[in-house]
Amino acid sequence: MGKKRKIKYNFETLLLLSPFLIIFLIFGAFPIIFSFFISFTDYSGLSPKFNLVGLTNYIHAFKDSIFLTALKNTFIFVIGTIPFTTVFALLLALIINSRFLPLKDVFKAGFFLPSVISTVVISTMWMYLYSADGFFNKMVELFGSQPLPTSWLAHVKTALLSIMIMDVWAAVGYYTILFLAGLQSIPEELYEAARIDGAGRKALFSKITMPLLKPTLYFVIAINTIRSFQIFSEVFTMTGGGPMNSTQTIVHYLYIVGFRNFEMGYASAIGYILVFIVLIITLIQGRLLRSEVI
Amino acid sequence: MKKAVLLCIMFILLFISLFPMLSMFYTSVIPSGTLTKVVKERYINDFETKYASYLKRKVKGDSISLRNESPSSTTSLAVNGRVELLTDKLDVRVAKYIEFWVKGSGSFSAEIIDAFGGKYAENFTAQPEWKKFTIKQNEIKDIDLRYISKLAFDFEGGKEFLLDDVKLVYRFPTLLNYVNVLKEDMFSRYILNSLIVSVIVVVGNLIFSTMVGYAFARRRFWGKKILFSLVLSTMMIPTQVTIIPVFMLMKQFGWIDTYLALTIPMLVTPFNIFLLKQYVEQLPVELEEAAYVDGASTLQIVFKIIFPLSKPSLAVMGINTFISTWNDLFYPLVVTNSREMRTAQVGLAMYQKLNQIDWPRLMAASSIIGLPVIIMFLIFQKQIISGVTKGAVKG
Repeated sequence: MGKKRKIKYNFETLLLLSPFLIIFLIFGAFPIIFSFFISFTDYSGLSPKFNLVGLTNYIHAFKDSIFLTALKNTFIFVIGTIPFTTVFALLLALIINSRFLPLKDVFKAGFFLPSVISTVVISTMWMYLYSADGFFNKMVELFGSQPLPTSWLAHVKTALLSIMIMDVWAAVGYYTILFLAGLQSIPEELYEAARIDGAGRKALFSKITMPLLKPTLYFVIAINTIRSFQIFSEVFTMTGGGPMNSTQTIVHYLYIVGFRNFEMGYASAIGYILVFIVLIITLIQGRLLRSEVI
Repeated sequence: MKKAVLLCIMFILLFISLFPMLSMFYTSVIPSGTLTKVVKERYINDFETKYASYLKRKVKGDSISLRNESPSSTTSLAVNGRVELLTDKLDVRVAKYIEFWVKGSGSFSAEIIDAFGGKYAENFTAQPEWKKFTIKQNEIKDIDLRYISKLAFDFEGGKEFLLDDVKLVYRFPTLLNYVNVLKEDMFSRYILNSLIVSVIVVVGNLIFSTMVGYAFARRRFWGKKILFSLVLSTMMIPTQVTIIPVFMLMKQFGWIDTYLALTIPMLVTPFNIFLLKQYVEQLPVELEEAAYVDGASTLQIVFKIIFPLSKPSLAVMGINTFISTWNDLFYPLVVTNSREMRTAQVGLAMYQKLNQIDWPRLMAASSIIGLPVIIMFLIFQKQIISGVTKGAVKG
């Protein structure tokens, strides 16, 4: 290649990459670095002045009772929803994948539908079901118990649980589709060969399906963990973190600290604590799932 | 047998899965009340009171008294001449008709009077026994149906008439909740904003992801591997971490509360680049080479050859980008301030904080925001589901 042509070639490559490079540098790379920097300052967002405060924000987080509550709630949410979502999704996928079930496409689409609807819309309709004169209270009444006098979301004891139930419902269809894709990627010949060798249904499941589904299982749990740690819209729409911070979560608290209290330095620190937690947990999960423990 | 049982179980599960959505749509068309208690009519007055003082506050007339007979209950109102029922800015748009019972012999007229003095009258003839009369809502003209302040009855002079059970019978199902939400609560503006933003973001992604994906798939350049792994790793960083510097940048640029803030950072996303790169890599290289030999420029190759060839992948990408942009709450919430610039999700999230008592109206609002993606899903199921197995719809 001649020198001139090479320059032209490189220039064209740059041209192709430029929209991405500009947006990536300004709104992707720079904010990641800059938010790490301001997490060590007392920047408020209101005035351009700030002081370096070292690790104060990070230390403050672990003394801040609301942040600790948010951290606890987020962990309860993650640990309480993921097993149910995963098991339900796996069961649904196994049934849909079964040879005996007709109308597979209808079920696939039907169960998936809730996943395309925005969390705000889903939260709004569930607030209605949870309300004082809503469906759930009517059901409780029907079975002879005392319904709650107000919305389920207005009680310290039931609010977080209500959001968790809704989340399991909303997420199952999405992971069902992922499991289905995993199941369908298992070659049929394997099953046939095993059947010829006299393997029973149980053996087929434990010796072929489960081991070959492991990468999907890992993927499902990993992305569900990442997504669940970031829970925000549900809380913002349904409870605003209340009552008495019983549904406060990390990201919702980050929003409150950054954009209501204008402590952007502190909010950035919370953001990095979140990234750190998620990173560690997904690493541990990876280890556990790749080893033979499960 | 086994098949039937399985099918039954699955249909029950499917119903549970779709139940919240169905109850949302159902509630959005009821005139008033809730899922389990649909209110289909509303009494303006049934004159079942022992207290004359209460009656006096609601009913004005020179010669009125209570009488112990009624078509449905115990008491009715005996009137000589004219009587006015005060209704306190009653909204009758949701009504199908106004119903009342009259007994007496002779003719009378019923008047509907709005808060601005507008009047609509209709003439009737009463019978010596109880008879039901109605005024159809769609026949009422020249008055503001939203603010009806009184109903008046002018009975033929000198005779006594009995009046009872004056009520509104609601239209059911009704689309009025939707009309209210779109007209009075700025939802048409929120939806317009979301449409503008989503369309710009989709178009941007279609063009830029093709360019960048092509560059990563086919061009040789310095630092390609590092840059690509950087792209992949930023996919892992949640928005919440970058949101504060992005917000500060938007403030610096003066972009807060503009379409620029809502669209520019989203115009090309790492995930879509990844998708397109994978797709372009498996396209045959011969077509490009032939075009190159024929003297086509790089941009021509990208847009005249790669772009059409990538249509299946671009369709998946476009639809999923539209849905995720339409559904996003966190980012638009942070970069908008005024009501006029709110997107559909922000609008709904803010609206429901104020309107938790009027469930039918709130359900109409959330139905409107949910419908576009539901319709898209029904049309493009295949692309959407294949997009999921390749990556993720929701961020």
